[in-house]
Parts: sequence; C-alpha cells; structure tokens
Amino acid sequence: MNFTVRIWRQKGPNERGGLVTYEAHDVNPGMSFLEMLDGVNQRLLGNGEEPVAFEQDCREGICGSCSLVIDGIPHGPDRGITTCQLYMRRFPDGATITIEPWRAKAFPIIKDLVVDRSALDRVMQAGGYISVNTGGAVDGNVLLIGKDQAETAMDAASCIGCGACVAACKNASATLFVAAKVSHLAVLPQGKPERTRRVSAMLEAMDREGFGSCGNQYECEAVCPKSISVRFIANLNREYLRAGIVESGIPSEPESPHAETT
Amino acid sequence: MTRLVSHLQSSVGRKVVMALTGLGLVTYVILHMVGNLQVFEGPHALNSYAAFLRDMPILLWTARIGLLCIVALHIVFAIQLSLQNHRARPIGYAIHRYRQASFASRTMAMSGMVLLLFIVFHLLHLTAGVIGSPNSDRIDAEGYRDVYGKMIHAFQNPLVVALYLVGQLGLGLHLSHAVSSSIQTLGLEHAALDRLFKAAGPAVGLLVVLGNIAIILAVFLGIVHV
Ligand code: HEM
Ligand code: SF4
Ligand code: FES
Repeated sequence: MNFTVRIWRQKGPNERGGLVTYEAHDVNPGMSFLEMLDGVNQRLLGNGEEPVAFEQDCREGICGSCSLVIDGIPHGPDRGITTCQLYMRRFPDGATITIEPWRAKAFPIIKDLVVDRSALDRVMQAGGYISVNTGGAVDGNVLLIGKDQAETAMDAASCIGCGACVAACKNASATLFVAAKVSHLAVLPQGKPERTRRVSAMLEAMDREGFGSCGNQYECEAVCPKSISVRFIANLNREYLRAGIVESGIPSEPESPHAETT
Repeated sequence: MTRLVSHLQSSVGRKVVMALTGLGLVTYVILHMVGNLQVFEGPHALNSYAAFLRDMPILLWTARIGLLCIVALHIVFAIQLSLQNHRARPIGYAIHRYRQASFASRTMAMSGMVLLLFIVFHLLHLTAGVIGSPNSDRIDAEGYRDVYGKMIHAFQNPLVVALYLVGQLGLGLHLSHAVSSSIQTLGLEHAALDRLFKAAGPAVGLLVVLGNIAIILAVFLGIVHV
C-alpha cells in the first residue's frame, strides 16, 4: 500500500509549524499506524533529514503515550483503540492522511507531534491519590467491596491518561479525564477519606491548567480509547455539588496543591 | 473565600448556575407558550388572562425582575465560559471531524445570541410596543386591553412572521441541547433513565417551538382572525 501523509512539523515550542507532505511507500496492510510512521522516518534518516518526532511507548494500547490526531479524529477513525492499535488496512490504498498533534493551551507542543501533557499529572497531584497506612500489608480480602462497585471503579480506572478527550473536545476540556479519576476513587472505600477535597482540588487544578469547561457534547467519549462513559461526568458533577454543600463555609484550598507545606 | 462561593466560580460551578438559570427560563418559556395558546380560545380567554396577569402588579414585577436577573446571570456566565473555552485552544486543527457532538451542542453560543436578539426584539415589539403595532393599546368590547387584537395585527406582517420564525429556530436549537445538558450538569444519570434524559431536550424544544409556531402561523394564514 502507498499513502501520502501530511504531517505537522514544528522545530520547537516557540517555532512556527506547518503541515509537510511525505510519501509512505510499500506499507504492509498489517502494519500499525506507528510502524507506517517508522517507515517514513527511516527514509527521512536515509536522506539525512530530521525524522518526525512522535510519542510512543508500549505500542499495545496501555500506556497512553501515542497521541495523534488522524484526519481530524484523535486516535484515528476506529473507536475504542489508541493510535498504536490502528492498522493501515483501515485506510484505502493511495489515501492522503493528515496527522496533527493534540491541540490545547494546556498541552504546549514540544516538537512536531509531541505535546507536553504534564498538565494532567499536575491535576493528578492535586488530588488523585489515596492515604495508606504503612506497616504490614493488609490481607487482600479483608476489605469487602461489592461486585458492582468494583466494576464501576474498574471502568473508570481504565483511563490511561492519553488526553484524547481533551484533543477531541471543542473546548479542550479535560473533564472526562478528571471524571474518570474522581469516580474511580470515590466509589471505593480506600478513596473515601479524601473524597470531598479530592474533587474540588482536581477540578480547581483543571481550571488552573487552562483547560476549557465541559459543554456536554460527548465528543470525548467517542474518541476515548478506553470508551470511558460520560456518565462519569455526571458523577463528577454530583461529587462536586456534594463537596460544595458538605464543605460550605470552610475556607477553600490554597492556590497550589502543595501550599500546605509552605 | 468559602467553599461554596469558590465552587460557584469554577468551570463546573458556573455550568451549574447556567443549568439552574437555564431551567428556570425553560419553565418560563413553557408557561409563556401555554398561556399564549389561549389565542385559539378567542379574544375573551386571552384578554382576560392578560388582564389577570396585569392585575397583580407586585407579582408581575417580581417575575419580570426575577427573569431579568436570571437571564443576566445566564448570559454573564455564558460569556465567561465561552471566553475560557476559546482560550483553551488558541491554535485550531487543520482538519477536525466530530463523531457524535450534535449540531445544537456545538452552536449553543450562536443560538443563544440569536435568542438574545430575538428576546430584545420581542420585548420592544409586543411587550413595550415600541416597534410596529400602532394599535397596541386598544380596548376590547369587554373593557380589557386587546392583546388578542394586537397579536392578530402583528402576525399579519410577513416580515414580523419571518423574524419570529427565526427566533423560534434559535429557541428550538438552544433547547434541544440545553435541557438534556442541564440534567447532566446537575449530575443526574441512571442507566434506566439515560434514554429519557437524552430525549428530554429535543422533546421539550420541539413542543415549545411547535406550540409557538402554531400561534404565529394560525394568525398569518387567517385561521385565527378578529
Ligand atoms: C429563553 C432563553 C434561554 C433558555 C431557556 C436557555 C436555557 C439554557 C440551558 C438549560 C442551558 C444548559 C446549561 C447546561 O448545559 O448545563 C443553556 C446553555 C447555554 N446558554 Fe442558554 N438559555 C436561554 C438564553 C440564552 C441566551 C440569551 C444566551 C446567550 C446570549 C445563552 C447562551 C447559552 C450558552 C452559551 C450555553 C452553553 C453553556 C455551556 O455549555 O458551556 N442562552 N441555556
Ligand atoms: S478519559 Fe479516555 S481519552 Fe481521556 S485521558 Fe482517559 S483514556 Fe484518554
Ligand atoms: S504507545 Fe502505548 S498506548 Fe499507544
């Protein structure tokens, strides 16, 4: 198979970028999208040109590193998969494919197709953790958790933090990501001690990082490689309303998540 | 700042205020339509209903000022959120395809703007009588203000009818996303009710728009006349 690929090239964070057209020849239909790009880079290297920078790691849909907007859809035309799980047989021979980076103020471009997603890490630092006691490990089955609770928590926990939800959202909102993380911990007994302050802290961090607000358009759910349901967003809103009522009158959190130590 | 106050200023908090004010406006829009449908019962029904409303000036003005505050809150937060959302993606995509976001959901700011312009026009036209209708404050045979006659007169003008239909288009579009969206914003979801919640927006939107259009067209086509 042969393809024409239009790829966003940008030398550095503050450089001007643009779409550059390359040819991808002799592509095996069984190749993944990233392997096709490896081929393009091989040829670029052979010609002494700078290869295209793109992020990848596990190449099996679990790490959340790969992050390409393919023909206008994050992770490409198939549902419920990451870019690395997308195969070239999915495209008609001879097709022109446009590849762009995630676009959001909170995800500044580092180079070409690589963006800085540490904003999501800072949202996690603000509240995406639980308290555990040190000492001897507790036996696994001491704490009983209902089947449906466990299932719900697992559905939410399957978020791999790729940021496709942000990339797809018209408002570049990270609400689905935050909803998944908050819901995951809120349904489990281990997450209860921080339940109230977690949701406020994570949503405040999301605003601080410059993400947009949720317009309930559900584009995030459609591109999420883990098909995280927008029902978790309703749950997030519920948790937030609850926190507003439970904690009303209590002074709000300081600006920085780590300010309690300063 | 206390929790509750700071909560209302976050992006979710602002959405909650928009949802609550929006639902308040939805309730009003439905009552408004139902009230006006009395035009089909003839001049007596409509004019005495109008007089009944005007006979309670305290209630009337409380409702008016309340509505004004609600609309103001709704619009201020709409602008703030739209600006925040606009800033969140300074550089757009060369190609961006939507998979499931409805047209209505992507054009809320546009349909809201159309609505705002329409509401201002509508208030100047039929409430204040500044635009059009020279025979605005006539008295009917029973001594009531002739709202019925005013409506008949207004919707005989094709230009006015066209403007009102555009307004209804904006309203229908806005509501078709707004009602379902506010249910989600307020955190209501249930596996068994999700379909109902999804259908609520288009259903309410269609109901209100059909009711309103029925009035406009019935007058324009001469089905309801003096
Ligand atoms: C009859 C008048 C109106 C009604 C009944 C109404 C109702 C609603 C409702 C229920 C929502 C949903 C809130 C949510 O998603 O949780 C909404 C959203 C919205 N409204 Fe209105 N609205 C009206 C007028 C306006 C006007 C005049 C404007 C603008 C000038 C406006 C702009 C918006 C915007 C931009 C949103 C989307 C907010 C977001 O998703 O972030 N609306 N409206
Ligand atoms: S919610 Fe889905 S799209 Fe968003 S970061 Fe998690 S896995 Fe990626
Ligand atoms: S490379 Fe790990 S998910 Fe794609």
